[in-house]
Amino acid sequence: MTNTISRRDFLKLGGAATAMLAVGQMLPPMVAKAARETGQINAAGDGFISSMCEMCVWRCGLVAKIKDGRVVKLEGNPEHPHSRGNLCPRGQSGLMNTYDPDRVLTPLIRVGKRGEGLFRKASWEEALDLVASKMMEIKQKYGPEAMVFSSTHNLSQPLFENLLYAFGSPNYGTQRSLCFNAMIVSNLMTYGMEEPARIYDDKLAYILLTGRNLMEAISTSETSDLSHAIDRGAKVVYLDPRFTKTAAKASEWLPIKPGTDLAFHLALLNVIIAENLYNQTFVTNSTVGFDQLAKEVSKYTPDWAAQQTGIPAETISRIAHEFAAAAPHALAHNGWRTSNFINSFHTERAIAILNALVGNWNVTMTDAAGEESGTLGSPTQPPFPRVSALRLDGVPWKYPVVPLKIGVFQEMRDNIVKGDPYQAHGWFISRQNPIMSIPDRAKTLEAFAKMDFIVTIDIILNDTAWFSDVVLPEASYLERYDPLVPIGNRIFIRQPVIEPQGEAKSALWIYKQLGERLGLGDFFQYKDEEDYLRQQLAPLGFSLEEIKAKGFVETAEPAHASEAAEPNWNTPSGKVELYSDTLAKVGFPGVPTWLEPPQPAEGQYYLLTGKVAQSTQFGTQNNQLLHKYSDEPRLWMNAKSASENGLADGDWVEVTSEVGKVHSLLNVTQAIRPDCVYLTPGYGHLSKGLKTAYGIGVSDSALHVTYTDPISGGQALSQTFVSVKKA
Amino acid sequence: MIEIKHKAYLFDATRCIDCRACMVACSVENSIPMDKTRIWVAGVGVKGEFPNLDRATMVYHCMHCEHPDCMSACPVGAYHKRDDGPVIYNPDVCIGCRYCMNACPFGVPHFDYDKGIIAGAFIDKCTFCPQRVDNGLEPACVATCPTDALEYGEREDMIKAAHARIAAHPERYIDHVYGEFENGGTSYLILSHVPFSELGLPAIPEKPVNEVSEKVMEMTIPFAIGWGAVLTAITAGVAIYDKKKESQKPAELDEKVEAPK
Repeated sequence: MTNTISRRDFLKLGGAATAMLAVGQMLPPMVAKAARETGQINAAGDGFISSMCEMCVWRCGLVAKIKDGRVVKLEGNPEHPHSRGNLCPRGQSGLMNTYDPDRVLTPLIRVGKRGEGLFRKASWEEALDLVASKMMEIKQKYGPEAMVFSSTHNLSQPLFENLLYAFGSPNYGTQRSLCFNAMIVSNLMTYGMEEPARIYDDKLAYILLTGRNLMEAISTSETSDLSHAIDRGAKVVYLDPRFTKTAAKASEWLPIKPGTDLAFHLALLNVIIAENLYNQTFVTNSTVGFDQLAKEVSKYTPDWAAQQTGIPAETISRIAHEFAAAAPHALAHNGWRTSNFINSFHTERAIAILNALVGNWNVTMTDAAGEESGTLGSPTQPPFPRVSALRLDGVPWKYPVVPLKIGVFQEMRDNIVKGDPYQAHGWFISRQNPIMSIPDRAKTLEAFAKMDFIVTIDIILNDTAWFSDVVLPEASYLERYDPLVPIGNRIFIRQPVIEPQGEAKSALWIYKQLGERLGLGDFFQYKDEEDYLRQQLAPLGFSLEEIKAKGFVETAEPAHASEAAEPNWNTPSGKVELYSDTLAKVGFPGVPTWLEPPQPAEGQYYLLTGKVAQSTQFGTQNNQLLHKYSDEPRLWMNAKSASENGLADGDWVEVTSEVGKVHSLLNVTQAIRPDCVYLTPGYGHLSKGLKTAYGIGVSDSALHVTYTDPISGGQALSQTFVSVKKA
Repeated sequence: MIEIKHKAYLFDATRCIDCRACMVACSVENSIPMDKTRIWVAGVGVKGEFPNLDRATMVYHCMHCEHPDCMSACPVGAYHKRDDGPVIYNPDVCIGCRYCMNACPFGVPHFDYDKGIIAGAFIDKCTFCPQRVDNGLEPACVATCPTDALEYGEREDMIKAAHARIAAHPERYIDHVYGEFENGGTSYLILSHVPFSELGLPAIPEKPVNEVSEKVMEMTIPFAIGWGAVLTAITAGVAIYDKKKESQKPAELDEKVEAPK
């Protein structure tokens, strides 16, 4: 007999989960037992356990206060360099992700139509067997490449990759092309590294932020660094069409015309080269291609850039002078979610080159301490099978300089719909919500409809899970282990601070179980989560108990070389490449080159999106604490534009793009350019299993048109134009 | 004898990024229901006309006055001012009269109309996290602040630090530490780049408004007790007279009159 559950029944499920929790507390819990042994909690079950946050990808250290087997408070861990004792609002509210009444606490198998939200509860045994058999069926019928795998930047990613590469699929969808492809690829082409580390020392005097809204897109330690730099008197110049909370803190806010950041930066390069403001020693000794660069940027005078950007030529020229004068204690920030226009790769290249020209290397930026580095051990495993099928996302055959592990997610979706160069049939998704994240949501739903089988691993019934055939409940970050992370000469642990609720399991466990059922057990040679971590620690001679007790262990040698060491630019020339032969060889300009971005037609507006401090992407809107302290998401429109359109604050408006239409409440404000409107991303959820978030706001992805930067593969997120009228 | 150090918060509006980590931290630390809060974002927000804009917001909660109006208005002694700064509200004593709400010049105490008069604990406001500060921790809001917009320390030190900050960057601040003298001084001190009224703070005389009323109100309970004692004494006297029994000690009579309160 099938036991169907409706949206209303989820309420009861929530109640059942609470009941289960109460029962769980009566059993001798393993987490509490271990924590008692290491002295973190007392006999009564109260105390403090160190672990790591997962409310965004910054991974702050945390200390969880435990009372009667429940997390009652989270604090920043002062020993962790990313938190330094602080947590942002998302970090503070993390326990409500764990205690979300909408948690999925048992495997679910769909019984209704896709998107109807009717599931029945299943045992792990049944659910895993079903997933494995469906995956094997697809592999046998269509080949392993017909299974698409997607997951984003989390600590268990290496095991996820094991599953996909061992299965033999080339189709790996990260969300990075919706975020920072332009930044990563430009740094690879310039410095031979994905993202140089930024140094905020006491001498830092000048910071140029291009749309990097650090006061709202919070990375706790870096936001703190920026704030303290401002406090010490560093000058901050901030480019953004919106008056964000960062704009409010900046010394100078330039409401630049969208899509023209490139023109601004090309003009800075122009002035710095034309007026000999660059660091000649660094340019001569450590870079290649100065002449090609100088030739190209000679066209881009401040007068020319003023026409493009709307920023006066004198201002551009002055900033170039100020930046060069402050160098090397100056930093042009690369930004983060930067693929806003199809010319964003060149913008990012220009920023990377600006830092190089004035000789900031090893002063305000340096070789990044990669999290993958270090001397941690890992279980032995056989080599992966050779994969001959083309990737659906066009990497590298269409996007030759995009790294394989980054990919072009939106292109993958498009080719799933087209069945080009072959048809995908299954989608394995872990901790990701592509229905909400990929532009043109209607098209993503079309891609889902092409699938014979979809499985999603998450802690709640996110929108993608809502449209899946099987949902596997993951333990939350406060309930599970993940692989260890080295930062500098410290190694940090994420460990369970409470027992997993219901039937929830760690990703390490789920991937291993699936791997074994798929005949890939050799790629998961660990007994359980603790065994995996012990194997990681083995070469260092630390015990798991040591790292559990303190939250980290310290190795003798810093994982990274001191500043005195030779910089390791992993470029073909071994130097910083102002001109890139790699780019030229595949037919792209070798130096940053102006590319005219499209502009909205009469009566249309640039649709901007950008982060708020109270949510992360598409996954935290259902957190009741964040919901409590979030502003209602509304469409921002400049007061002048609103009055021209006869619109008033609080009106319902119809927002229409080439691919979608939504109805939103209007926020009439001065804090945005008159030619732009803005939406907070991540709202307008489709899953009725998200009872806090459902019905709140509208989806930016429903409006976003898919435009891909041909070099970096980044989605041009601000290149969508909309019309707005009274609903 | 141990000298009690008087503690205070220092809030710097130029540092606050309105991220609301303090609000969430407070909510969790103090188990505040999802529809209630002890901290608000106050202030006019974005001001000016595009592109000449500024922003004025502040983290607003109990000012922990040196001469708390809530305390002097309370007829039952539900408030007391700790020697180290916090103004503490005792729900067990509160009768829900809401005099404190009217008295507070900052509009801080909030009445829980959902609970009404039956469930008890009618008023809610910031407590200064005594459960934390008594154990050597900072209040929850201060501890998590990623930009040090909220700081906590000895009141004297905080005042000194505030003035030093103004002196170091006179172009950045209004030359005034709000709360140093307002209302006779508060334990929540505020630095700002915009006029304090734009942060939602009232203009308040330095002399505490309750200086006179406090003295009167302070007398309320002794007066009630004393008057009760007189009445009781008379009643008792009558009883003695009537029943011709031995006289009783006034002190014992005082205790008896506590009951009708």
